[in-house]
Amino acid sequence: MEQSEIRITQEGKEFRGEVMATHGADKLMHCYQCGTCSSDCPVAKRVPEFRPRNIARLAIYGQKDRLLDGDLVWLCAGCYTCYERCPQKVHVSEVVTALRQIALREGKIHPTIKSIVTTIPRLGYISEIGEFENEMRAEDGLPPAPTPATEEIKAIMKKTGILGRVGGKQS
Amino acid sequence: MKYAFFVGCTILSRLPAYEKSARKVAEKLGVELIDIPGSSCCGTTYMETLDRKTSLALAARNIAIAEEMGLNIVTLCNGCTENLTKTNKALKEDPTLRAEVNEILAETGKQFKGAVEVKHYVRMLKEDVGFDKVRAACTKPFKGLRVGAHYGCHLLKPSDEMLFEDPNDPQVLDELIRATGAESIDYPGKTECCAGPVMGIREKVTWDVGMDKVETVKKHGDAMATCCPFCYITYERCQFMTDTNPNLPVVHIPQLLGLAMGLSADEVGLGTNKVDASGLLARQEA
Repeated sequence: MEQSEIRITQEGKEFRGEVMATHGADKLMHCYQCGTCSSDCPVAKRVPEFRPRNIARLAIYGQKDRLLDGDLVWLCAGCYTCYERCPQKVHVSEVVTALRQIALREGKIHPTIKSIVTTIPRLGYISEIGEFENEMRAEDGLPPAPTPATEEIKAIMKKTGILGRVGGKQS
Repeated sequence: MKYAFFVGCTILSRLPAYEKSARKVAEKLGVELIDIPGSSCCGTTYMETLDRKTSLALAARNIAIAEEMGLNIVTLCNGCTENLTKTNKALKEDPTLRAEVNEILAETGKQFKGAVEVKHYVRMLKEDVGFDKVRAACTKPFKGLRVGAHYGCHLLKPSDEMLFEDPNDPQVLDELIRATGAESIDYPGKTECCAGPVMGIREKVTWDVGMDKVETVKKHGDAMATCCPFCYITYERCQFMTDTNPNLPVVHIPQLLGLAMGLSADEVGLGTNKVDASGLLARQEA
């Protein structure tokens, strides 16, 4: 059988370094590809191309394009099952977090996530809680929802620069 | 017993029955829940994956208000619980990180001091109220009702951050279900995720993962009980996305507790459950 050769480029190594510099993803190289993560992943049961073990391997090999193309990194449910059960404490969930942050930097944020993130400074919540919702709440005998301090939320998000990075409006 | 009550966006806007029943049950148990003025979105679990500092600052801002109130926080949503708990722990343990986040928070005139605790409602019932008191309050218990507990993920995981029960063998919901006189059933996949967070990415994945559990619980039980708005929405909605019509009632855990404590169907908002849950009433002792 012909053996395929995988070359890890300098760019790939830098990409891997970037992944490992992210909070919680520093043990990427400890992965010995046992597959515990893939066998317990709730998304992997339904999505053949989503395999946490593969995500770890591709990250080790610095395969940036294969990881960031399409919606792969946005399919993680964030359930932390791989985090809990990995015998090497690789924390694939945190590797996915690293990949999302790199995707964000490259302008590849998923539109659904972008919409959630840009809603927060506008409404103070991830969903509309205005006059109508508060009337409905009153009918249920519930107090009005806390008036969200949207100016404070905007100030925080302006300071961290997140809105500029997701492509949302700064004001 | 008095807490700062962090309800969370999705419950505030979409699930009045969860909030209403939680407030009524708290009242029955002598627990005072005080709204947090000016509180907002917890930061969401999504934000945490995009930018840790923003996520920490948004969560810390809410915690700082509770600190000003001098009250520990009680939450209803697993996602809010995770965000607020992780932030609280990280900022209490790491002074450098706390200083960085406080510099961001200075924009709002607030400061994180590390003076309060964060607990999910069910954890508060277990650790502060106690199961004995909950059991004693259930004066109209269920009989012959089999309920499948669904814990969701972020009440328990990551376990080294949440520091609550073993995520592979959690007990709190089972204990609460048993306190109502109902039987808490064991079923395969009990601790598995609902896949709710994938709903906005590939909807069908969520409905399929949801139906797996609905069908399993249906085989062994009469209803499912949840403690997270997203899990609740998933298990309810997935039943309307198939032709099999499983009709498995999904209830918020305080709804079940409230009924057993003698609250009326209306007081626990049972009419808003999209899969008819009125059959539960026939399983109560007179």
